[in-house]
Amino acid sequence: MSTISEHKKISQYGNVPNLVQDGLVERWVRSAKRWWPFYLMLAPGIIYFFVYHYMPIWEARIAFEQLRIIPPNVWVGLQHFAALASSPIFLQVLLNTVIISVMKLVFVFPVPIIVALLLNEVRTPGYRKIVQSVIYLPHYLSWVVIGGITIAVLSPTDGAVNDIISWMGFQPVPFMTDAGSIRWVVVFSEMWRSAGWDSLLYFAAIIGINPELYEAAEIDGAGRWQKIRHVTIPSIAPTIATLFILNVGLFFSTGLDQILNLTNPVIRSQIDIVDTYVYRIGLQTGQFELATAAGLLKGFVGMVLIVAAHLASKRLTGKGIW
Amino acid sequence: MVTNSRQTPFERIEYVIILSALLLMVVVTLQPILHLVAVSFSDPARVPTMSGLRIVPEGFSLKVWNLLIHNAAVQRGFVNAVFITFVGTAINIVATTLMAWALAQKRLPGRKYILVFVLVTIVFDPGIVPDFFVMRDVGLLNSYWSVILYRGVFAWYLIILIRLFEEVPYELLEAAELDGANPFQTLWYVIVPVAKSSIAMIGLFYLVLHWNEFFRAMIYLNDPNKWPLQVVLRQFVVEGDKLSMVGVSDMSTYSDAGQISIRALKAGMITLTIAPLVLIYPLILKFFTKGTMSGAVKG
Repeated sequence: MSTISEHKKISQYGNVPNLVQDGLVERWVRSAKRWWPFYLMLAPGIIYFFVYHYMPIWEARIAFEQLRIIPPNVWVGLQHFAALASSPIFLQVLLNTVIISVMKLVFVFPVPIIVALLLNEVRTPGYRKIVQSVIYLPHYLSWVVIGGITIAVLSPTDGAVNDIISWMGFQPVPFMTDAGSIRWVVVFSEMWRSAGWDSLLYFAAIIGINPELYEAAEIDGAGRWQKIRHVTIPSIAPTIATLFILNVGLFFSTGLDQILNLTNPVIRSQIDIVDTYVYRIGLQTGQFELATAAGLLKGFVGMVLIVAAHLASKRLTGKGIW
Repeated sequence: MVTNSRQTPFERIEYVIILSALLLMVVVTLQPILHLVAVSFSDPARVPTMSGLRIVPEGFSLKVWNLLIHNAAVQRGFVNAVFITFVGTAINIVATTLMAWALAQKRLPGRKYILVFVLVTIVFDPGIVPDFFVMRDVGLLNSYWSVILYRGVFAWYLIILIRLFEEVPYELLEAAELDGANPFQTLWYVIVPVAKSSIAMIGLFYLVLHWNEFFRAMIYLNDPNKWPLQVVLRQFVVEGDKLSMVGVSDMSTYSDAGQISIRALKAGMITLTIAPLVLIYPLILKFFTKGTMSGAVKG
């Protein structure tokens, strides 16, 4: 803003800018004089990003090294990555990550869309508001809390779900220690937490739809479902596409906090994902190099996915992720 | 609305089904929370046989709450969590606002590079182990600051704020400049009052992030005295460590505390951790509905 006003000042005195032939240094000093307050404002943030996000990137070099008590460390190239590729545990972890992410995409992703569509059908604003204020709440709870709630709800002896199962005359299921059901526990706890909140974006897109479209559809004799099919869904398709792509982009980065609070030794092999694996072998058993290699691998795949997602979203809908 | 009068019976049934589906969602969301609240206020003797479906206390007793409130680990956890949350959020708001205001200057030399510098951190995450090494190297292990400064500036919120600041009418900024305001004064007297509610909204998000954070606290704070409430809760609920809550003496003497079922203690602990969030939740809703509504009008 100051540049523009200074141009104005100059122009009041006629057409002079070309008379001032500044060297590079002078121009630099002038620019510094004008902008230093803003650089000062940037400083805390830049220092933060440097320490918390860039220094770790530099530290990540230990993925290619053998740590030694007496420095320097020994460069071993891709040895740790090779070790990962031939480790059955890591491959299982990779497989688990893919399975859980796909399950979440298939079973959790569509739910908020349906919720938003249902909310839009409600003709009493009061009822809709109450529903909305309740279903947004779980999004604000930590995974420690949701883990605790999930364990309580699914308890074989006094959990709500098993109370219903026994009441219907079936045997209670120990969901939290059952290898067959634990992944579904992950899926449904994710749904409990995010289905409501995520519907907000779709709902915002729906109320932005031009009402004339609905009026035109009504004149054509469209019923509720036809309006949803031919007006609402096509109108929110860009939002759906963007969020779907974003979810694909975050494919490998979901669930550390969640899994850590739902896991236990009995079923760990079913839901051990890359993040929990990195945490366990790195920070708990001290295999720093191997864990860093696994984390870095995840970081690279994640980067490729999210950049691809951004480009895809930009091309499809004209709106990127950031 | 016009169609209401000529709804067919089939459409009316449909409508009832839609309302019921949403009601079911409300019940599924609230029941588990209300149940835990009910358990925490129930008579401890009756808790072991209580159905998981109940949302009304069986009997009434404050024994669980009494125990929790006087428990040293819980008290410390609460104080730590409040400290981390408030100091952290204050730093977040100041650092994010300053950075966003500077980056909202479209002509700032190097702006593009700084934006890329920030975006890279969204895209690439080298993982937790290098992070741990950095914390060790800068001497923040076992320090509150390793947790407080985490997400000092959250890239997503920064981007939101930059976009909002860019929309502040140019005339306001020009007027401030004519009055001789420096960039700091313009920020404080013009931008902050205009963008008050957006800054408050982002502050609330940061507040929730800090309150809910457990992973960093868990790996960086070795000293249990520094643990925030979430880590204390996790130790107890997820790891099932009753001893740390009740204390050795009460466990072995089968005193009051030893007798309270672990189920009731867990329920109370979870309720306690949720309570502050539930208190600020109406504020979040207020800011949020406002934000999305204006977004919808624009979009």
